[in-house]
Amino acid sequence: MNWKDSQLSFPLLVVCRLLLAVTPFIDSLDLDHNHQLSSPTNSFVRLQEGLFLFKHDIDPYSGGSFYHSPLYLSLFTTILPTSRFLSRLVWTLIDALGAWALVGIWRERQNLRSSSRDTLIAAAYLLNPYILLPNLALSTTSFENTLQLLSLLYACRGRASPALFLASILLHLSLHSVLLLPPLILLLLSSPHSHLSNPKYFTAYRNSKGSLSNTLSCIGEFLIYSVILTLCCTMVADSSGWIEKTWGVGLTLPDLTPNPGLWWYFFTEMFDHFRSFFLMVFSVHLVMYVAPICMKFQHDPLFASFALLGVLGMFKPYLTLADPGLFLSMHSIFPEIFPYLYHPLPTSLLHLHAALLLPLFHSLWLTQGTGNANFFYASTLVFGMANGAALVDAIWAGLRIAIGGKEAEDEGEIAVVQE
Amino acid sequence: MSLLSRLKRAGNEDGARVRIRRRKALAALLWKRLRFIRVTLLLVGLIWMLAIPLPMLSQGTYIDENALQPAQVNTYWDWADVHRADRYLDQVEEWVQHNISSIERADMLVTEFQKLGIPAATQLYAYTNGDKVVQGANVYAVFSSPRASGDEAMVISASWLSRAGEGDGTLNRRGVSTVLALAAFLKNYSLWAKDIIFVLSDGYMEGMHAWLSTYHGSVQSNLRADPLVLSSGVIWTALNIDYPGHSFSHIGLFLEGLNGRLPNQDLVNSCQIISRYTGGIPVLLYDQFHHSEFPNKDVLDLPFWLPEFVKRNKEFKEFSYRAKNVLRHVGYQGRGMASGVHGLFHQFRIDAITLYGEPAPGPHGFHAMGRVVESSLRTTNNLLERLHASFFFYIMTSPYTFLKIGKYLPSAVLISVSMLFGGISEWIGAGWRVKKAEGGNGKSNTATSEVKWARQPRPLLHALCIVLYTHAFGFVVFLALTGTPVLNPVIMLFLFTLCLTSPIPVLCSLTSFARRDELPAINRVLKSINLCIASTVISVTSVLNFSLAATTAVLLGIPLTLASSSPLLPVRTVMYLLYVFLAFGWMVWLPGEMQRALWSWEILGVWFAPFVCLVYAPLALQGGLACLLPM
Repeated sequence: MNWKDSQLSFPLLVVCRLLLAVTPFIDSLDLDHNHQLSSPTNSFVRLQEGLFLFKHDIDPYSGGSFYHSPLYLSLFTTILPTSRFLSRLVWTLIDALGAWALVGIWRERQNLRSSSRDTLIAAAYLLNPYILLPNLALSTTSFENTLQLLSLLYACRGRASPALFLASILLHLSLHSVLLLPPLILLLLSSPHSHLSNPKYFTAYRNSKGSLSNTLSCIGEFLIYSVILTLCCTMVADSSGWIEKTWGVGLTLPDLTPNPGLWWYFFTEMFDHFRSFFLMVFSVHLVMYVAPICMKFQHDPLFASFALLGVLGMFKPYLTLADPGLFLSMHSIFPEIFPYLYHPLPTSLLHLHAALLLPLFHSLWLTQGTGNANFFYASTLVFGMANGAALVDAIWAGLRIAIGGKEAEDEGEIAVVQE
Repeated sequence: MSLLSRLKRAGNEDGARVRIRRRKALAALLWKRLRFIRVTLLLVGLIWMLAIPLPMLSQGTYIDENALQPAQVNTYWDWADVHRADRYLDQVEEWVQHNISSIERADMLVTEFQKLGIPAATQLYAYTNGDKVVQGANVYAVFSSPRASGDEAMVISASWLSRAGEGDGTLNRRGVSTVLALAAFLKNYSLWAKDIIFVLSDGYMEGMHAWLSTYHGSVQSNLRADPLVLSSGVIWTALNIDYPGHSFSHIGLFLEGLNGRLPNQDLVNSCQIISRYTGGIPVLLYDQFHHSEFPNKDVLDLPFWLPEFVKRNKEFKEFSYRAKNVLRHVGYQGRGMASGVHGLFHQFRIDAITLYGEPAPGPHGFHAMGRVVESSLRTTNNLLERLHASFFFYIMTSPYTFLKIGKYLPSAVLISVSMLFGGISEWIGAGWRVKKAEGGNGKSNTATSEVKWARQPRPLLHALCIVLYTHAFGFVVFLALTGTPVLNPVIMLFLFTLCLTSPIPVLCSLTSFARRDELPAINRVLKSINLCIASTVISVTSVLNFSLAATTAVLLGIPLTLASSSPLLPVRTVMYLLYVFLAFGWMVWLPGEMQRALWSWEILGVWFAPFVCLVYAPLALQGGLACLLPM
């Protein structure tokens, strides 16, 4: 029996994660309240508060502390358990589903039934500390990441309805996921295979469904799903107050609880009369990336979604470690770019520094009291730099691969003059 | 118009070519000079560390928080209170003479507090460390604030054992009497805006640790302590009074807390100003006298072999005075040790220092000490918010001068950057090999300036496994040290031998790869990872505990940079042995220090012992392995 065989190793990995999730040691760490692992829009503590209010017939959206989607309210009051122990199991299984989807995307990309790389990809998702820790903190980003991967998987398989339906659920859980819609539709209309080394116009790679009318019907289908879900949400919440408290929060940033992202500190320091202007600037800035990345990588929409996830993992409001974690884990399905990475070592060193500095400066500020908010903000800047370096390098490699020539270089064809 | 033309020019191919050529030239220059840059950074960092005591780097202390207003009040402590303190002292002496148990003593102290009308209680505690049990009884009394709701509190404490001799049995008799007399005195005044908690802890550190842990509800498996019956609010500041002698000549300030924490410098400076101007007492940092006070005595303890003209040189004397203070600081902070009982407070966000009455025949006594404490309490009573966050990072070079963080931090960071560059250059170097020239005349061709290079794969995963193995090995050593009940020299020697043989599994697993060229340049990859991790550890730790980072940088900086394999097996083995001594030599050479570090970890939760076993020693061991593995 070969341990690299994914039939065996994938369940093994999941069992390891389940064992880790039920270890009593995890409870003693008090991860739920950690600012780096969950933000106001996805923290488990706030979800429980909202559920409590909801069960007692108080509108959870009338206060200022619950920013989860009504979909979570309906899910957790009907199907999913709310006790901490069972929740840990559910969250771990959600991550396992995400890993399965990632492996599925890899197989679709390579057009394989199974490969020797499957285990590595599953491990890259299940054992990535940036994904593992928010999951143990029961942050609902785990749901968002899994939905993201599932919708990409269905798009890779060319099944428009499930992909668009999952994307519209995701839209309700996190507003910024709508930025991933254009590459998702491009993916539906073309193929998931790697065309990075052979960039051509989109028309060269589009499949039989790739016509304008199909595009419009995809958008229409997405809109219909979204509207239906919006109506469902309004029914669950009994008013439309949830819109302002879920989607609105991503745009107006009412809660400035610290997180590893770049928004919160900026807006704590901001004078009130500039606030709305800069809120607009920050939000539009995120939209700005979509069109260029989709155009540049029109030959490989899966890579475009990967790059956009990297952008979101750096610039999203209410960031948690799981957002850049998804981007880093997705590197594993693009092995063709690895030889073309320009500065992998500095990127990993930046990530090493950031991963150590974030908890350190967080505790200097909030536990020990010898530092202040500037310390933690400085460490989030290092983290931003690390994410930025990873993103720039991935895009560089994704473009550089088209020129090729690495093999010749490796064979020593390019002489290095040394004195 | 010009912008447009510039854009056009930047867009055309020539511009791009020039830019790329320029970038390549810069990279080539950096690569060529990398060795020089690394050595320079390392040397500048080391020299900077040596220069920390230089007077020109320090600056005078000042009060940052305006609300403190130190030494601006009239004090009311007078000779009647001194008399009262003397009567308390008589009682304490009587207890000591009758050799009564600590529980009886605690009951007597509670009675004294209750006679004053202040609610007081005892707290019994017991530590179990291995098969040893340490027991004691703390006494504490809470004087409720006449002015406010009691959400905030200040602590005045004295431990039963003095810090003189670090708890070897010197009693803090007059410290305890001072606290009792102060309780009687302070309750007469209605100006306190915070509760005042009087704590008379048993033992040296352990009593106060039990009291503080219980007060803040932190649970520790090997400590059993009674719950506290009296409660108060958030403790902001604490003054620990240590007055072991008959009289004192100076007040010594002790700052360092557990795990390298320091109190806010404003508190230190306030007490320093109050001692000088209200109490009229000269101030010392620790118990180090300034040479100008005793021109005829050798208070600096300069080494005897120094020539006389150097010893008499004023600048040199000043430098060595400050250097002694800095070294003392590094000794406490680096090992994470508290320099007095006050050090236990810092972990709970309480600013605390010890006022130590330097034992002397005279001239000061209860009168001066009482006034200093009264005035200091008046100062801390003024606080409306926490002391400012920028004042926690400093190195005191004398009671009146200090270094800001920007003046000392770069020294460690420069060394770490030098190691980082080393790691990156090793990484690049490990990815290339000289291509064998065709036709068999390889030897003669190397003299020419043009060498063909070919890429080779880097065995990253194998090197990472070795790194993980060394850290796991360090963890096993740590478990063995904490798990062994008695650490006698025989066991230590056995453990050290075990450490010597630690690379055997690595060597065995590597030789199982039949062909050598499957793992080219594994020692270079290992060295690269090692340097990168060491550099990260140093630069990250430097903010938390500069002394520890600086010590690590000095111990590891040069050795890890120099680690390299050689074709000769004996040379490799000798190099490896040197690195193992660097990693685990403390087992044989410093058994006392090791015992103390382990005790601090078990009882007080000081991270020094785990840091050495889990981080420092494995890093040095990796350096040794990078030497031992064949090229």
